[in-house]
Amino acid sequence: MLTKLMESGNKKIADLAINSNFRSFRFRNDRIFFQQSSLHEKTILGLIAKQTGKETMQMEVYDCKQKTDFTTAALLWDTKTNQKLTSVAGKNVIKGGKASWDFYWQLFGRNSVDNKGLLLKQYVHFDKGMDNAYWDGRRMVYGDGDGSVFTSFTSDIDVIGHELTHGVTENEANLDYENQSGAMNESFSDIFGIMIKQRYNNQDVKKSNWLIGEKVMIGPKYALRSMKAPGTAYINHPELGDDPQPATMDKYQNLPDTSSGDWGGVHINSGIPNFAFYVAAFNMGGYAWEKAGRIWYAVLTDNNLAQNAKFADVKNLTIVHAEKQFGNNSPEVKAVKQGWSEAKV
Amino acid sequence: MVRSKSITGAMKIKLIRTGGFIPITKAAEAEVEITARELAGLLEIIQHDPAASRIKDGNYYELTAGSSSTPVDIEKVPDEYKAIFSKLKSELKIVK
Repeated sequence: MLTKLMESGNKKIADLAINSNFRSFRFRNDRIFFQQSSLHEKTILGLIAKQTGKETMQMEVYDCKQKTDFTTAALLWDTKTNQKLTSVAGKNVIKGGKASWDFYWQLFGRNSVDNKGLLLKQYVHFDKGMDNAYWDGRRMVYGDGDGSVFTSFTSDIDVIGHELTHGVTENEANLDYENQSGAMNESFSDIFGIMIKQRYNNQDVKKSNWLIGEKVMIGPKYALRSMKAPGTAYINHPELGDDPQPATMDKYQNLPDTSSGDWGGVHINSGIPNFAFYVAAFNMGGYAWEKAGRIWYAVLTDNNLAQNAKFADVKNLTIVHAEKQFGNNSPEVKAVKQGWSEAKV
Repeated sequence: MVRSKSITGAMKIKLIRTGGFIPITKAAEAEVEITARELAGLLEIIQHDPAASRIKDGNYYELTAGSSSTPVDIEKVPDEYKAIFSKLKSELKIVK
């Protein structure tokens, strides 16, 4: 119909039809472009306003009283009433949750884990002596530790940032929790967890020790993970033996995709992309979140990051985003390439 | 029925916990008076598929009796067996 009108002998009608067709073409292409844009690109283009100033974080903290039933947990604190707290674990998760929320909000304009202001629910004192913390898709849960190997899992901001980032990943690439994609899921949580801690403590890449959970694990020589030197977070530990994380791809561990196999080694092989990030960030210098963090966030929110992405896919995307943000052959692109190269990916 | 005291002919069960922020395997054993039929009934209630949930950094449990091992959700343990599982959980030790 429109084609016929464009060919009309009546110039006025033909002009209108051509104009209409042009607008329609632009609209279709704009729509495709914006559909394919990542959250980061949309933020850069100003399509999602980078929020400043106004505090919108919503958080609730519950005390499980060493039980495992969330329905009987008591509300300890929330942003609305801002109750005075005596619980150390409660204070820790408020501090860590706020540092995490601020990190995503102030640097990326991201409003909570879903970018829609999701209420952050944190549960402390879960179970008796539970030596763990986890994200169950709705909430962050922390145990008090067994008291001999581990203390409270609320003791380190990076652990809190790690759990919150699982929520971010779930709302973005939703990386499959198995094998390489699962290890990437874990790695993104470690990467953002460490940056949240570094930013809270005002540490640059040289000042940071790049250890995850150094207070959670009892003993001055131990931490849960080392991003600078995976496989060295604990050595000859009387209960745990040696840290099993590899730093390079040639040491990748093929483990069964079962709970006892750590779903194909998601917490083990994450040492490889963790190390790549550390090298890249260190070579860029300054604060990790200023350059490397922006590149990795752009990848995490890129629609091209597949749910079953492998390390090599993430490597390629980090290079693409480093080039986009800093230019081809920039020192940042070189640093990213160097990071993956040292991790032998 | 299950009693917390070991008796002649009691069945040995083992609770194994895997997973976590750093993957650690923990285990605890107990001898309980339970018939094979009662055990089958219990497992029917508490068995679950851990792969279906894949909670990030989550812990998972399995119950071993004899040569068979079943992934279980210990939150579903009926009241009559809760004391046994509570004791097993408190006695979990790291498998080196």
